[in-house]
This record gives sequence, structure tokens and C-alpha cells, in this order.
Amino acid sequence: MILLLPLFIPLAGAIVVFSCRQPRVVVRAALTTGALELAAIGVTVYSIHFQGVLTAGRYLRADGLTSFFLISLGLISALVLVYSSGYLRHVPEGRFSSLRWFYGLVFLFLFTMVAVYLSANLGMMWIFVEATTLASALLVGFYNTEGAVEAGWKYLIVCTVGIAFALFGTIALYLAAVKGGVNPQSALDWGTLMAAAPGLVGGRELLKLAFVFVAVGYGTKVGFVPMHSWLPDAHAEAPSPISALLSAVLLNCAMYALLRFDAITSRAIGSGFSHTLLLIFGGVSLAVASLLMIVQRDLKRLLAYSSIEHMGIVAIGIGLGGALGLYGALLHTFNHSIAKTFLFFTAGNVRENFGILRMERIRGMALSLPWTGGALILGALAITGMPPFGLFVSELVILTGAFSTAHYFIAVLMLAAISVVFGALLYHFQHMLMGKPDDVPMQPALRRSEFAVMGVCALCLVVLGVHIPSAFAAVLRGAMAVLQP
Amino acid sequence: MGLFETAAAKALASSGVFLFMTVLLIAAAKRISTCIALFSLQSLVLTAQIIAMSRMHHSGEGFVIAAMVLTVKVIAIPYVLYRIVEELKAPRDVSSSTSSSQSVFIAAGLILLSFFAVRPYAGVLGGDQSMLAASVALVLTGGFLMVSRKKALMQVVGLLVLDNGIFLAALTTTFGMPLIIEIGIVFDLLMGVFLMGLFVFRIRDTFDHLDVSKLRRLRG
Repeated sequence: MILLLPLFIPLAGAIVVFSCRQPRVVVRAALTTGALELAAIGVTVYSIHFQGVLTAGRYLRADGLTSFFLISLGLISALVLVYSSGYLRHVPEGRFSSLRWFYGLVFLFLFTMVAVYLSANLGMMWIFVEATTLASALLVGFYNTEGAVEAGWKYLIVCTVGIAFALFGTIALYLAAVKGGVNPQSALDWGTLMAAAPGLVGGRELLKLAFVFVAVGYGTKVGFVPMHSWLPDAHAEAPSPISALLSAVLLNCAMYALLRFDAITSRAIGSGFSHTLLLIFGGVSLAVASLLMIVQRDLKRLLAYSSIEHMGIVAIGIGLGGALGLYGALLHTFNHSIAKTFLFFTAGNVRENFGILRMERIRGMALSLPWTGGALILGALAITGMPPFGLFVSELVILTGAFSTAHYFIAVLMLAAISVVFGALLYHFQHMLMGKPDDVPMQPALRRSEFAVMGVCALCLVVLGVHIPSAFAAVLRGAMAVLQP
Repeated sequence: MGLFETAAAKALASSGVFLFMTVLLIAAAKRISTCIALFSLQSLVLTAQIIAMSRMHHSGEGFVIAAMVLTVKVIAIPYVLYRIVEELKAPRDVSSSTSSSQSVFIAAGLILLSFFAVRPYAGVLGGDQSMLAASVALVLTGGFLMVSRKKALMQVVGLLVLDNGIFLAALTTTFGMPLIIEIGIVFDLLMGVFLMGLFVFRIRDTFDHLDVSKLRRLRG
């Protein structure tokens, strides 16, 4: 029953926030809910660690993999809530774009994502992945400018169509399971499917069909090229805290769905097919996104393409498979979440101070905003995988996996893409940092709340780059045990 | 097999034709409201198919699903879309990038294509071949409507047609998924249409038109 806590606290929070009128009360209620949610996730992770699998009724289930992804969700959402409390002070009152709506929708969004992680049933998981799109579309269009409305519309339409394909894939998997002799009522339950998977070899063609549709469907949500068109727009036009949530939590959520399907397909018909498909999607996303990063002009669009690139790296890790590939991929989702949250927070600060995000129009940040400039450098070093930051470790693990399984092409592609990204970020950021500042910014330093959340991110990145704490390593092992029994 | 079951099976076998007809008519339609009415009709055919199937399989759940589809897809969603068309006070043509006759030709081609596409799977999946072809045809024409029609509302209609296709695929191959999942899927669709309606108003208010092909500020 403990599983109901992390699921329903955000829902209750949304109701409370919607019923509050005073902005001050809204912020306080939001922060309290965030703290409660973090505690609930902590308790859940703790119980999973000792009891293995938790279930509540037929439709809720949590295992090691859930626990791993819940940790990053809890951490990032708490950071985002604290950051938003300072960031969204001057929101104009408007229909669907007031502070009340912001927090209410954020909690609904969190509810749907937690529900994706806790779904025991793949059909149920689909319903909630679709619900994440619905809950976040208004947040993407929050500012109600031309760009925001267009991005919100595009996000809604592209992701709904993409997810429809995933439904088709889910139906095909269901069909394969039913034809393989699984009881129709439980043929979409993860536990049943994993147990029955080796007996589904007969439906090989159908399972392949299912995985292709699921990869395209959930791949749209992950942001694989060529289904990525919604992603840069949505990330660039949403308020910065929402960009962080989209990039650091939502993409992982879709990746989680793919991981579940990949595990079932691999167990049933061998890992060859699904892993090759993931390698292709990952490689193409990585290559295209890294090249597109060179020509970007908007800071947040640049960061969005970087998310596509990193999701490509994660897909490559999963596609390489084996202990190394999967370990690297899981660790990389976590590292990427933290680094990207850090960078979007920095981008938010840049926007507050300059009012724009066009990189060629921002100059001399190193002099005028030393803290923000420093954060930008630190974030750039972390996201490109420099030591001593966490992403260095996870990328190195994935590369080792690629070389040890003789995937030389993928390894070279990955190295080349990472170098291109490094060059692109260096080029863009040195332009923003160097030179003489044109005008004096409004406030010279980071706010205290910003400083705190960005400090937490930086600390996590450095710690994970130097040494992986044993408790976290245990959670990682638990997550891998679920996928590779 | 009783009389009812036989009648249901016969009706079902020929019902694919009605779906093909609605698809061709939507492709030919020039006004948004006609397309909405045709979508409602299409969902009605779908409802009839579900009822016939539940009759054949003696399934109580099927009737619940049929009732749900009837209320949501035949009545609620078309009603909401109609209201949006009324409220918008905007020109009501679909403004297609292909002419009406070209669209019909393309839709007919897509129907032929879907018959070829399902042929290899017909043996594996069981189910009626024309129904399977109809579901693929709905998915394809839904996609075609979304890329060829410029009005934001027509993209919603295209999406709904596409969704009907996937629903039909689930129906013909597996006779539906567990009830609670079906309910969730339909609920998501309803919410999705509400949200899209909301965005249509926002597009009109911020851009003063509804032509999504002119939304290209964010390319690249």
C-alpha cells in the first residue's frame, strides 16, 4: 500500500494548489507537497531495497528499475520546485498561465510520470505516457506567446500521433502473448509477460512488429531522430524549470517504457533485433543532434539538441547490452538528468538577466555575471563528459562496452560526436562569455534558492564522477537485475 | 449458432465496406463540419461492429465498451468539435493542399495499399482480412488528412480517424484489451481532444488565423 503515497501526493498537491488563491500560499503549498513527495519516494525506494518487489492491487507494481528511476524523478522535481519558487515571481495573471495553474499542472505532470513508473501493466503504462503529454502541453505553452503556442500545439500533435503508434505496438505484443497461451486478462502484466516471454518464440514476427512500433512510438517521446521535431521547440519555449522537467524526467520516463519492452522482446526472441534497432536509433540521433548543435542560435534550443544527443548515447548503451552497456546507460540517464537540470537552471538565469536567449547577442558574461558565467562553464564541462564529472564515467563505461563487444563503428561514431559537441559548446559559450558587456545586467548574482539547487546539482555531478556511493550502486544493481534476470 | 450470432457475423463481414466509404467521403469533404459528422458516422459503424462482436463472443464487457465508444466518439467528441467550429467564427473550409478529387484518389490508393499490406499477416493474425485492411486504411488516411489539411481542427479530425484505425485493429485481432485499459485509452482521447480544442482557440487568438501550415517560426 506504500505505493499509493508517491502516486497520490502529487495529485493531492494539485488539488490543494488549484484551490489556493494567494500566490504566497500557492508557493508554500507547492514546496510542502514537493517535500512530502520526496519523503514518500524515499520510503518507497527504501522498502523496495529490502522487500524486492512491491505491489498494490493488480495494477501497481514497483521493482528495482522503478526505484532507480523514482530517485532521479524525486530529486529533480524537488530541485525544480525550489528553483521555480524564485524564478516565477513575476508571472502575469492570465488564463491558464498563473502561478496556480503552473504548480497545479506541474503536480499533475508529476503524478502521470510517477504513474508510468508504478504501472504493473503495459497498457496502463501507455495510458499514463499519453497523459504526460496532456499534462505538460499547457506548461509548454505557458507563456502564451506565438512561439509557445506553436510549440505546445506541435508537441501535443506530434507526441499524440507518436504515442498512438506505441499503442499499436502494445496491442501487437498483447496479441502475441494471447496467441502464446497467456491468459488474456493478465497478458499485459509485466510480471506475467516476463515469466512467459521464453514461451513466446512462436510469435517472432509479431513481436518484431510490436517492438518496431513501440520503438517509433515511445521513441518519439524520447526524442529519437527523425521523430524529434517537437523536442527543441518544446524545450526552448517552455519556462526554464519546465524545460528541466521535460529533459531530465520526461525523456527518462519514455526511455523507461522502452527499456521494459526491450527486456521482454530480448527475453522472448533474443536481443539481436531490438538491440540493433536501438543502436540505429541511438547512432542516428547522436550524429544528427551533435551536428545540429553547431548551428543553433538559441541557448535553450542548443541544450535541447544536447538532450537528443544524450538520449542517443543512452539508447546506444541499451543497444550494446550486456552488463557494461546497460550499467552505463542507466548511470547515464541519471547523470544526464542532473547535468541538464543544472544547465537549464543556468539558462533560466541568463534569460532573467538579459531577457533573451539568442547566443550571438549576449556578450561579456564572464565580466558582468561571473557566477552565471562560471555555472555555464561548469555545466558545459559536465555535459560534454569531462572528468571529474559523472557523465565522464558513464560515457566511458558505454565506450568500454562498445569496444569490448567489438562495435567499433559505434564507438568511433560516439567519440566523434562527443568531440563535435565539445567544439560546438566551446564555440557558443566562449562567444557569450568573452568580450565587453554591452549593458549592466539587472542583478549581478544568483539568488539564494538558485544557488542552493545548482550547488546540489554540481555536488551530485562531482560525487558521481569520483566515486559511486555504495547505496546508489546497490540500487543500480537492483535495476539491472530486473532487466537481465 | 443462433440466428442472432449468424446475423452478427454476416453484418460484421461486410461492415468494412462502410468504413471504406466514410474514409473516401472524409477525403472528399470540403467543410470541417462535414468531416466531423463523417467521423461521428465512422465511430457509429465501429460501435455496431463492437456490438456484433460481443454478440458473437457472448461477452458482457463488449457492451460496456460499445456504450463508451458511443457516448465518447459518436456523441461527445463530435459535439465538442462542432461547438468549437461554431465558437471560432472562422472560415469553415478544410483548406486542403490537394483538391477534393485528388484526395479521393489518394485515399482510394491508400485503401488498396492497406489490402496489400495486411495480406502477409492475415494468416498469422486470424481475424477478417477486410476488417484488418480497414484498420490499416484508417490509420493511413488519418495520417494523410493530418499532413494535407491546413486547418488546425482538421489535424484533430485526422488524429481521431487514425485513432479509430488503431482501435479497430485491437478489436479485430484480439477482440479488445482488458476493459480498464480500454476505458483509460478512451479517456485519454477525450482529454486530448479538449486540450487540442483549447490550443485551437489559443492559436486563433495569438495568430489571428488557423492555418497551421503558416506556423513555421520554429523551424530548424
